[in-house]
Amino acid sequence: MENYLQFLSIAILLSGFILVANKRVDSYIKTFRLQSVLLALVAGLIGVGNIAREGNWEIMIVCLITLAIKVYYIPHLLKKTVQKVQYKVEKDFFLNIPISVLICCALVIIIYFVVPHIDDLRNANLQVYLANAMALVLIGLFFMISRKKAIGQIIGFLVIENGLFTAAILSTEGMPMIVELGIFFDLLTAVLIMGILVFRINENFESIDLDKLRNLRG
Amino acid sequence: MELLILIIPLLWMFLFWGSTRKWLLHMINSIGTLLLLILALVITCKVNASGHIGYPFLNHFFYLDALSVIVLDIIAIVSFMVSVFAIGYLNRELAHQVINLRQIQLFYSLMYAFIFTMVLVVSTQNLGLMWIAIEATTLASAFLVGFYNQREAIEAAWKYVIICSVGIALALFGIVFLYISAVNIFEGSKSNLNWLFLLQNAKLLNSSIVKIAFIFIMVGFGTKVGLVPMHTWLPDAHSQAPAPISALLSGVLLNSALYGLIRVLAIVNKNLGSNLYTGRLLVTAGLLSIATAAVFILTQKDYKRMLAYSSIEHMGIITFGLGLATPIALFAALFHMINHAFTKSLLFLASGNVYLKYKTREIAGVSGLLKTLPITGTVFLLGLFAIAGMPPFSVFSSELNLIIAAFSANQIAGAILFILLIASVCAGIAVVAMKMFFGENRSPGMKPGEENRLGLSVLIILLLLITVSGMLIPDQLKQLLESASGIIKGVA
Repeated sequence: MENYLQFLSIAILLSGFILVANKRVDSYIKTFRLQSVLLALVAGLIGVGNIAREGNWEIMIVCLITLAIKVYYIPHLLKKTVQKVQYKVEKDFFLNIPISVLICCALVIIIYFVVPHIDDLRNANLQVYLANAMALVLIGLFFMISRKKAIGQIIGFLVIENGLFTAAILSTEGMPMIVELGIFFDLLTAVLIMGILVFRINENFESIDLDKLRNLRG
Repeated sequence: MELLILIIPLLWMFLFWGSTRKWLLHMINSIGTLLLLILALVITCKVNASGHIGYPFLNHFFYLDALSVIVLDIIAIVSFMVSVFAIGYLNRELAHQVINLRQIQLFYSLMYAFIFTMVLVVSTQNLGLMWIAIEATTLASAFLVGFYNQREAIEAAWKYVIICSVGIALALFGIVFLYISAVNIFEGSKSNLNWLFLLQNAKLLNSSIVKIAFIFIMVGFGTKVGLVPMHTWLPDAHSQAPAPISALLSGVLLNSALYGLIRVLAIVNKNLGSNLYTGRLLVTAGLLSIATAAVFILTQKDYKRMLAYSSIEHMGIITFGLGLATPIALFAALFHMINHAFTKSLLFLASGNVYLKYKTREIAGVSGLLKTLPITGTVFLLGLFAIAGMPPFSVFSSELNLIIAAFSANQIAGAILFILLIASVCAGIAVVAMKMFFGENRSPGMKPGEENRLGLSVLIILLLLITVSGMLIPDQLKQLLESASGIIKGVA
């Protein structure tokens, strides 16, 4: 089972790379959905193990909520938002894609160099899980600053959240149930609010290009 | 009974949708915060007598001690003042046809959601729930920041949501790390995220993981506190929100976020056995925030933005005090938290009256304030003196205590830098803002006279509060502050 989890953890990190290499908003959403499916698989694997061992359903529930919210509802919502703001296909990044991917590689290398320096993380599996998750968080941050469209920033935020979720579930078998539920609730509200704000930006600025948000400075 | 402080704002969120009569909405609003204020005072007395309040259900999530009561009182008092002020403010905006009745409903409902999330931050000891509540404060206030729905307001709301959500996400990573270090030792324990449990077993946690956790949490909650360089959302959000909301953001929200940081700080300091590690980080962040604010205040053209930068400065001052971590410094930092909350909400509310009259946030567009708005103008001017650190106001007394604490902790260089920086902020405020008050009113067709009469009483009460507490601290408050600094020291 450890092998499968390690494989999934690396697959989730790779999906971050795929995201950075995406050119169009539609494919961002597809990649995010793929990443969430992988995440749900991780939760499902651990959940099945827990049910078999001690009859503990908590992580299985987390897996189902992930499927419902992150795999189905949020991508659906984002797709509808994109359709409504009539997004035109145009260049959406500051750096070209090969350079972006190289920067992300550098981020992963730095993280793999840093994590073994945390003395008390002796467990090799734990090190790999945490390193992958932290690298994904950094890739999410990089994605946010390298895209100009509002949707890109929302996806970046969601990827950061996925990174956190992987860290929590792989290294500690999940936070307490009430906390997990609260995090899902917050995430859902955050995406809804960001979606509404995207509409308002589109109305007020006639585009969702964040370059135009330059009224407030200094 | 204490649980009512959570139930009341939660219930009130829905009450406003039942009616569209204006006076009824205002009535419901003021009753809600009044009840909250009374409850907070009752709880304060209880905590002062018995140390802390907690219930065993839901894994001991409900917990109040002296530290949380200080922030709770700030929330309750400022919310009450703001909700009374908001009545006049919204009525004027309604009369100017800037907003309609539905927007008043939305405003009040979201305001209570905002208050609820902040009360939840201080009344739970579960660090996970605390994180959820702090993230929820952003979400509840996002539309309040973008309330006016103009270009600038939308831009501010977008920046606010994105920057704070990402920042707070990093704090969650920190909490996950803290949880890992606890799970490493107490596998299967149900209270691995409970603050009290973590504090009691702080010595056993893995130090290297706790250190990493602190960095993440400081960056994360620091974003919400407005520490430089994570402060960029703050001036935008504070200047674009309606004045009552700016007062809540600056006076209460920043303190609630700081409260989260303080709770973690107590655990980390106890685990590492000294404040060397956290002290360096916090003192640097604090001084950097004050310095940045000192520079940016000088370039401001918008009076609400100037006040927002002053908030960054004061959060820096409190962080500086927390970094020193001697008993006097902690006492002064907590006292400063209270003083800043009252003074800054006074200033933002006064700026709301100015905005209602002049319809502009530009400093250059306002002149002859003392003649046009005699009472608001005077209060605003005195408030600016207070926030700049002039005696006899309370900000002066806590800053003085903090300087004494810094010298007695042998941080001579830090203390001198601190004095120079707050002096330059004081000069900056004087240079930038004083021209609003004097001279003749240059706006054609504007008659002298106050716009929001009900709000004036709020301004005067707040002014009295900060003047009196500058000269004497009541014994109850002193006891509360002392036991709170004891809690941060890990004596609890």
